Amino acid sequence: MDLKQTLTHLESKLKEALKQTDKLETLQDIKAEYLGKKAELTLLMRHMKDVDAAERPVFGQTINAAKTRFTELIELRREALEAKRLEDRLNAEHIDVTLPGPDFRLGRPHVLNRIVMEIEDLFIGMGYIIKEGPEIESDAYNFEKLNLPKDHPARDMQDSFFITEERLLRTHTSPVQVRTMLEQGGRKPVKIICPGKVYRRDDDDATHSHQFMQIEGLVVDTNTTMADLKGTLLTVARAMFGEHRNIRLRPSYFPFTEPSVEVDVTCFKCNGNGCPMCKHTGYIEILGAGMVNDFVLSASGYDPSIYQGFAFGMGVERIAMLKYGIDDIRHFYTNDIRFLKQFST
Amino acid sequence: MNISMKWLKELIPCSISPEELGALFTVHSQEVARVEALVRAKGLTIGHVLTCRPHPQADSLRVCEVDVGDTVLGIVCGAPNVAAEQRVIVARPGAVLPGGITIEHTVIRGEASAGMICSLSELGIDYKYHHEDGIHVVRESVAPGSDALEALHFDDTVIGLDLTPNRADLLSMHGVAYDVAAMLDLPLTLPHVALETAGEPAVHIRTQTPRCLSYYGRVLKSIVIKPSPQFMQARLIAAGVRPINNVVDITNYVMLETGQPLHAFDYDALDSDTIVVREAEAGETFVTLDDKERTLHAGDILITNGREAVALGGVMGGAATEVTSHTTRLLLEAAVFDAMTVGKTSRRLDLRSESSLRFERKVDPEKTRYALDRATALFIEYANAEIVGDKGYFDDTSNIEPPIVISLEKINAVLGGRYSDEHVDAILKRLHLPFTRASNTYTIDRVSRRQDLLTYQDIIEEIGRISGYDQLPNTLPSTVAQGALSLRQQLRRRIRAALTGLGLDEVVTYSLQSVDRIGRFSTLHEAPVKVADPMTDLHAALIHTPLTGLYDVATHNAARRQHDVNIFELGTCYTAEQETERLAILMSGHHHYYRWQKTPTTDFYTLKGVFEALLDTLGLPAARYEPLRHEDFHPYQTARILLEGTPIGIIGKVHPKTTADDHLGDVFVLDVDVSILLEKSPDHAPYQPLQKYPSIERDLALVCDRTLPAETVLEAIKTQGGAALVHLDVFDVYTGEHLDENQKSLGLRLLFEDPEKTLESKTVDALVDKIVAHLKVTYGMFRR
Ligand SMILES: [Zn+2]
Repeated sequence: MDLKQTLTHLESKLKEALKQTDKLETLQDIKAEYLGKKAELTLLMRHMKDVDAAERPVFGQTINAAKTRFTELIELRREALEAKRLEDRLNAEHIDVTLPGPDFRLGRPHVLNRIVMEIEDLFIGMGYIIKEGPEIESDAYNFEKLNLPKDHPARDMQDSFFITEERLLRTHTSPVQVRTMLEQGGRKPVKIICPGKVYRRDDDDATHSHQFMQIEGLVVDTNTTMADLKGTLLTVARAMFGEHRNIRLRPSYFPFTEPSVEVDVTCFKCNGNGCPMCKHTGYIEILGAGMVNDFVLSASGYDPSIYQGFAFGMGVERIAMLKYGIDDIRHFYTNDIRFLKQFST
Repeated sequence: MNISMKWLKELIPCSISPEELGALFTVHSQEVARVEALVRAKGLTIGHVLTCRPHPQADSLRVCEVDVGDTVLGIVCGAPNVAAEQRVIVARPGAVLPGGITIEHTVIRGEASAGMICSLSELGIDYKYHHEDGIHVVRESVAPGSDALEALHFDDTVIGLDLTPNRADLLSMHGVAYDVAAMLDLPLTLPHVALETAGEPAVHIRTQTPRCLSYYGRVLKSIVIKPSPQFMQARLIAAGVRPINNVVDITNYVMLETGQPLHAFDYDALDSDTIVVREAEAGETFVTLDDKERTLHAGDILITNGREAVALGGVMGGAATEVTSHTTRLLLEAAVFDAMTVGKTSRRLDLRSESSLRFERKVDPEKTRYALDRATALFIEYANAEIVGDKGYFDDTSNIEPPIVISLEKINAVLGGRYSDEHVDAILKRLHLPFTRASNTYTIDRVSRRQDLLTYQDIIEEIGRISGYDQLPNTLPSTVAQGALSLRQQLRRRIRAALTGLGLDEVVTYSLQSVDRIGRFSTLHEAPVKVADPMTDLHAALIHTPLTGLYDVATHNAARRQHDVNIFELGTCYTAEQETERLAILMSGHHHYYRWQKTPTTDFYTLKGVFEALLDTLGLPAARYEPLRHEDFHPYQTARILLEGTPIGIIGKVHPKTTADDHLGDVFVLDVDVSILLEKSPDHAPYQPLQKYPSIERDLALVCDRTLPAETVLEAIKTQGGAALVHLDVFDVYTGEHLDENQKSLGLRLLFEDPEKTLESKTVDALVDKIVAHLKVTYGMFRR
């Protein structure tokens, strides 16, 4: 047999062997058999020295070509088998993409704290500091320094949980304002909001709660005006209830402010045209405010002939109830999971 | 305060509609609760009953012929008190009654009925105002066919005001008229009273207490007790006061008109020409009008006839001197009592009335004499009264208060407005506040009718509200400051973000809970802080841990088949000395729920993992856990948590007996001190250069005594491993086959690194051998 015949024969044997195999593992054996150290082709190469010098280049080239050819054949087969193996694997990994994934639900901040954070952020942006204080307060800080002496009839408006004669659960976060002003020593301007829990003797029902959350604000400086209060509250109303809202200030009474006002926002349900939500008035009451009473400034170390200020206070539950249409204040404290899950972050 | 529009228009002639006036009140004065027709009915006529015969088919019915002016109607009436010759209120076909009921021609048991004869209740006037069971019989002789509401003075509209406690002036029609005059810029006309009196005072007044500031008394004779005129009754009803008889009604009417409460004694029963006002002694008793014996406190104001008490000043008259249908002589009292005393007494005895309310909020001392004279005039007109002698009085009210001084600049500086002196002049005039102005400085006299106007700030409020706050611009404070959250507030937000990110919902629960539950889940050995006078036992003391509320949340949800509860609260622990912020977590059921795939049930380690993740994200060091026994917890699944050696709280499984009793599954809770987390949290963690050289990992399976805590083994390995051991983890805990009953196998993964060079395998092997040898010697551990 001449070389060509031998190589042709070897090639057809290789092809047959490749055809027979469907495993990548046996492909390795075939490669050794046809291209390895003991393969026929390798042995033929060793005969090179026996070939005429003139024919040697051709002989060598022929064998090298065959070697390349064999390698190609094996690689082709490998690729085919690898493709097949991948396909088999993928087939085996067929899943039902319509089945649901695990419930990796994130938790939610409580809606009251969410509103508090929203309002805090709004005021931080306007240069306010967030101040906090104790919930068990002295009568002096909760009432007396706020122009509510003992036996003042307006104390009825804030019926309280007393612990001792002189200590009680705060009925508003105003004592934090007093504390802050005293801290400032009557000289530096004050620009704060005070969020926190407060307590009043109310029977719990759909609209009353013996515990609730309040946010109060206070600005004291030499030139703080009622117009500043109005502009500030308009900003709050628009941030909380939409940019097209307007506000209305109505005369009211609080012992710690003078003038005192209640603040209404134009109804966000009917845009002020009148609907059951706003009792057909077009307005919804959202907070109380006013210019700080001189008595309060003096009691907290500020000279009222130099300083003046405004203060406001709002109930967080009320804001949340209006904003989300929540019908029962008790939901905030019952914490039914179905309630908690409704408020996205 | 309920304002009768008809009454108001008598004091201040104007054509404004009640709705428009209500809107003005809202913006310039006081909140309006309602604007409502006194009677919401249309088409009512006065009828004259000509004949009245029994209904042939029904004993309880009458068939009446009623003259209604233009015609005579046949009307079937069911009221037993209907009779011929009565003047009655007829709802003719087409009339509309309250509730939208339209009257039609009907046939009742075979008799045609062209309308209805009405009771006051059918007009929507509450029974409490008239106590009439049948149809209303009109007392005035009004021509048949007249408009019935007009004839009965019921053609009125009521504006209900929600008064703030400072505006005592608006507790009278006169005060209301002043405010309306200011709002509308109109003149007002208050009734003028001119009485002719002569002679010596018929009664002598003395007081022995400064709590009586003034007392006027007048004796009237020839009194005829009868119903008061219809216009007066209608106005009382509009104001929400029940008409009784002419004497009582006149005193109430004048009180509503002037704000000055009056009291009428039966002068014969009083049996004295001397009134002595004194303070009660503690324990003294007195029988009030309602025939109840009241025990008094020292300081309550008593009116006496010089011998015995006849009235509790400002609160209620006495039963002994009550006006009856036989009364012919009266002593009429108009007095001013100390506001605080009346407030206290009336509250304590639960005897709050229209009178006590007015005294409590302070009456206008300049109206006292006027009210006495005004009432006297009405007694003469409507009760046949004759004046006896002159009034007796004592008056210690003085009105020498310094005027209020304020500059135009200050008004504008506070309001942030640009009001001119002409504008402020005009507003003060509209308010009837006497003032003088020198250049831009106002000097404003105090007026007794507005006792709420005490300071310049009160004047600014008057200028602001009458001008309208909508006149002010919207500006922002010019105070420049840097807004910021404190570190504590920031930490709170980071905790909230981390825990919600870990799938926990935030809750807010009550700080007040029942006393017996305060110590629950708490490691604090302190008596709870109790509320002195709780509204309910459920909310009587302040919590030591928010877990009290969190556990209720779990119970509430479990009762609604919601068993997967993963919640936290940033709350407070209240003690007598201080309030400390606490973080409480409760987990029960499943944490992340894997649905159709296998979901592990929450256990101790789930909660621990959540807490460890929290510490990690806050940049805090890992905590240590020491086994702890606590009666509310599982004895072997509870630990004290320590952070760098400081105890910060507790983690554990709620005692299975408790959860079983409350129909709950396994409940795991944690409660830690937030302040310590804040204290330990680093400003910022320093940067660690990334490892350049490859690390070497070694797994060890070591068998040890089952009770040996993993932490002990880990600490020992860390000490032995030194700096090269950069990470150590437990990846398996095995008990069971191939091991003794009291043995366990720990699968540990160790990671070694050298920041300076590539570690050699043999170096690591030597370290591992050293570790294993140490564990063998110390704890008898061996490789599996
Ligand atoms: Zn609306």
